[in-house]
Amino acid sequence: MSAQASAAQGSPEVLVETSHALPLVSFSIALKTGSILDPEGMSGATRMMTRWMRRTAGGREAHVIDAEIDALGGAFGADVSPSTLVFQGTVITRSLDGLMRIAADVLARPGFAAAELERLRRETFAELTESLDDDRGLSRRWFRHRVFGSHPYARSVTGTVSSLTRIQPSDLKSLYQRVVRAENLIFAFSGDIERPRAEALAAELRCQLAGGEVPGEQSADPSVIAGRHLTLVDKPERTQTQILIGGLGTHPQDEDHLALHVANTVFGGTFTARMTQEVRAKRGWSYGAYSSLPIDRRRQAFSMWTFPKAEDAAPCIELQLKMLHDLRSEGITKKELAWAKKYLVRSHAFALDTASKRVGLLLDSALYGLPAGYYENYVERIKAVTLEAANASVEKRLSEDDLRITVVGTAGQIGDAVKAVIPNLASSEVVAFDAEPS
Amino acid sequence: MQDTSGRRLPAIQKMLGAVNAKAPEHGQLEFVESVPFGASLIIDRYRMANGLALLLCEDKSAPVVSVHTWFRVGSRHEQEGKTGLAHLFEHLMFNEIEGRGAGFFDRKLEEAGAESNASTWLDWTQYNIAIPKEQLGLVLELEAERMSKLVLREPQVTSEKEVVANERRYRVDDDVEGAVSELLWATAFTRHAYKWPTIGWMKDIEGFTTEDCEAFYRAFYAPNNAALIISGDFKVADVLSRVSQNYGVMAASTLPVEDAQPEPPQTSERRVEVKKQTTTEKLVVGYHAPALGDFDHPAISLLSEVLFGGRASRLHQRLVRELELASEVRAFVGPFHDPGLFEIYLAAREGHSAEELLVVLDQELKKVCDAPVTADEMARASARFELGLLGGLETADGKASTIGFYEAVLGRPAAAFERLEATRRLTQSDLLRAARRYLDPNRRSLIIVRPEPAKAEAEAAE
Repeated sequence: MSAQASAAQGSPEVLVETSHALPLVSFSIALKTGSILDPEGMSGATRMMTRWMRRTAGGREAHVIDAEIDALGGAFGADVSPSTLVFQGTVITRSLDGLMRIAADVLARPGFAAAELERLRRETFAELTESLDDDRGLSRRWFRHRVFGSHPYARSVTGTVSSLTRIQPSDLKSLYQRVVRAENLIFAFSGDIERPRAEALAAELRCQLAGGEVPGEQSADPSVIAGRHLTLVDKPERTQTQILIGGLGTHPQDEDHLALHVANTVFGGTFTARMTQEVRAKRGWSYGAYSSLPIDRRRQAFSMWTFPKAEDAAPCIELQLKMLHDLRSEGITKKELAWAKKYLVRSHAFALDTASKRVGLLLDSALYGLPAGYYENYVERIKAVTLEAANASVEKRLSEDDLRITVVGTAGQIGDAVKAVIPNLASSEVVAFDAEPS
Repeated sequence: MQDTSGRRLPAIQKMLGAVNAKAPEHGQLEFVESVPFGASLIIDRYRMANGLALLLCEDKSAPVVSVHTWFRVGSRHEQEGKTGLAHLFEHLMFNEIEGRGAGFFDRKLEEAGAESNASTWLDWTQYNIAIPKEQLGLVLELEAERMSKLVLREPQVTSEKEVVANERRYRVDDDVEGAVSELLWATAFTRHAYKWPTIGWMKDIEGFTTEDCEAFYRAFYAPNNAALIISGDFKVADVLSRVSQNYGVMAASTLPVEDAQPEPPQTSERRVEVKKQTTTEKLVVGYHAPALGDFDHPAISLLSEVLFGGRASRLHQRLVRELELASEVRAFVGPFHDPGLFEIYLAAREGHSAEELLVVLDQELKKVCDAPVTADEMARASARFELGLLGGLETADGKASTIGFYEAVLGRPAAAFERLEATRRLTQSDLLRAARRYLDPNRRSLIIVRPEPAKAEAEAAE
C-alpha cells in the first residue's frame, strides 16, 4: 500500500492513492460519527441531516444542485452507518474543482430550507413503505434489532415512521453543529490526482468549516442476549423464506480476530465453504448460503444467511444449527485451514487492485480505529493463524446457546415446523412484516 | 483491418511463429487487428484455427488478471417448453470436469485466490474469473477443460434444478419487480424468443433432464461460438502459448442455425392488470426499442437519461419532487442484439394510483415528441453516460466485461467508446426523431400492479 496519511502535526488528515489509468477522481469526506449519535427516539436523524445538507447546499434548491452535479459528470452522495458518515464524490478529472465546490457548499453552507425537510420526510416515508417489498431487507432489519437489543447498533440508520415524525428542524441543526466540525473530518482521494492537489483541496474545504470539540467515543460493546430466540416476520403468500441466524461476532481488537475470520471462511465465507456445500450443492435448498463477520468500531454480529423455499425452511434451520454445533465441537480441519489461508492470502490482491480500494482500506482503518498495521500486515497475520487458534476462537466467540433466529415467511405455513426444529427455544414471537421493530 | 499495432506487429508475428510451431491440431493462432480501447489501452484480436476469438488487453496497473469467456448463446436460443436451459447450464458449468472430481473447479480456483462468477441473458452466457497474475496458467487450463470435458450427472442436475428454482423464487416469484418485468416482456413480445425469461418458466426448470443439458452443451459450447477475453497484467507470449496449448485441442463444431423469429410490429397498446403482494401500485411500461447496434440506440438511450436518469431528470422532477406521486422512477433501454424494450418502472406513493402516474408520464413523453430537449439536458445526460462508462473500467474485470459484452453482442470489442463518441455527436434533432419514432403509444405494453390485500384483510372486508 503506497498511500500515506500526512503526518505533520495539526495538518488535516488526508489519504491519497494516485492512479492515472482513468481520467476519474474519487474522494471521501468522512466523519467518525454515525447514526449512533441520533438523538434518543429519533433514529434516522443523521441520515436525514446529511440528505437535507445535500439538498440545500449553498442555499440553492435541490434540483439546481442535482443538475450542477450531472453537468460536471459527477456523482455526490452520503453513506451513513452506525459509526460513520461518509460523503462520497466521483467525477471526471476535468470537473474536480467544480464538484469540490459543491461538496464545500454541502458541508459548510447547507441552507436547511424548512420546506425541503418536509419534502424529504415525505419521501423517506414513501421509501419505508416501498422497503416492505424487500424480504431480505426485512430479515436484516429485524435480526439487527433483536441481536443488539438496547445497544445503538439495533437502531435503523434510515429510521422509522414514528422516529422520523418526531424530528424537528432544530434537532438536525444541533446535530450538524455538533458533528460537522473541521476536526472531525478525514479526507481520502483516489485516482487521477496527486497528493499536493489533494491536500490543497482538503485544506480549502476544511478552513470553511467551524472548528471545535467533536464527540468522543460514543458507545460500549453490545451485550449478549442470553438464550435462543425466534422472530417470525409474518408476510402473506411467501413461497420462500429469508433466514438469518446468529449472535455477537468479532471485534478488530480481539486477539483472535483473524483466527475467527479464517474459521468463518471455512464455514460460510466462500462459494465452496461448508454452508454452500451442505445447503446448496448437496441439497439444493437455497440459492445462497453464507456466514459473515463484519467489523465496526464495536463488536458486530455473526450471522448465517439462507433463503430456502417455505417447505425447506425448517429442515434448513435444523441443518444450520447442527453445522454450527459441529463447528464448535469439532472445529475446522488442518486441510481446511490450509485451504482458507491460501484463499485469503491470494485473494487479498483484490482488496488492493484499484486506487479507490487501496485508499478505502486506509480510510476504514482510520474510521474504525483498527489496530496499527491491520491491513498492511494482514497477509502475514493470516499466514500465522494456527489450527488451535482458529478452533479456539470459534468456541470462544460463536455461541450456539445465545442465538437470534429471524425468519421472514408466512407464519401460518412455516411457524410450527420451524419452532419444532429449534431445541431449547427460550422465546418465540410472530411480528407483522409492516410493524416497526420495538 | 484496422491496424493500430504499428511497430508491435513484427514482435507479435515473431511470438506467433514460436507459438504456432508447437500448437496442437486446432491451435494455430492468427493476429487479426489491434483496436484502441479508450485513451491508453489497446485490444489485440487473434483468431484460433478452431474459431475461438481471443482478445487481449494488457493493463499493468495491478498484479491481477481477469479471464472472461463469452458464449454466443442465451435464452433466445432456447425453445418453448425448454426455457431457462441456458441459465441452468451456466450453473452446471461449475460442477465437474472429467478426471477432476465434483467441486474441484471452484475449490481449486478459490485456493488460488480467484473471484469467479457467471451470468446469462437474452443473447449470451459469460463466465468470469479474476485471479492474481501468478495463477493465470491454472485458469486457462481449467476454463479450456470445462469447455469440452464437462461431466453431467443426474444427481448434480437434479440438485442444480432445485437451486435454480430457488433462485427464481428469490428473483421473480417473491419479488414484485422481477415478476412484473417478466410479465411485461411476455406481453410485449408475441413471437420473438425475447418473450420468455432468461431464468425460464418454473415448469420448464422442473422438467429438464440430464439429456437436455448434454444436448445443449454439445450444440453451443464450442470454441467457434466463444470469445476469450484476457485483461490485466500478463505476458503476451506466455498467454498466446497457453491459450494455444489448452484450447487448441478442441475442434470447431457445426453450430445450430438459430430459428430466429422477428417480432411483428405492434399496432395497438397492450395493457395487463395484476394483483401482487405489495404495498403500493406500480406502473411498468415497455416501448419497443432499437437493437444495440442500431444507429438510433445511442439517441434513445440519451433520451432515457434526460427523462429518467437521476434526480435532475424530467420524470423524477415531476413525479417525485413536484407532484409527490411516485417514490421511485427509473428506465432502461435494453442492450440487445435484436430490438428490445425501453422499459419504464414507476412506483406510486401510498394513496396514489398507477393511472395518475400514467397521465404525467404521457404528458412528459408527449413533450419530448413535440419539442426538442434542451442542449443543457443533453450535455448533462452525456456527462452521466461518460461517468458511467469510466466508472465501469476501474478493474481488470470491468474492462474484460465491457470488452466481452460488446464483442458478444456487436462483434466490436471497443464499441463502448464508439458509443461514447456517438453520444457526443448526437444533436437535439436526433433525440426528437428518436422520440417520435419509438415513443408511439400504439407500440407500448403496460403492466399495472395493484396491491393484493392479505387474505385475512380480504376476509374481514367481506
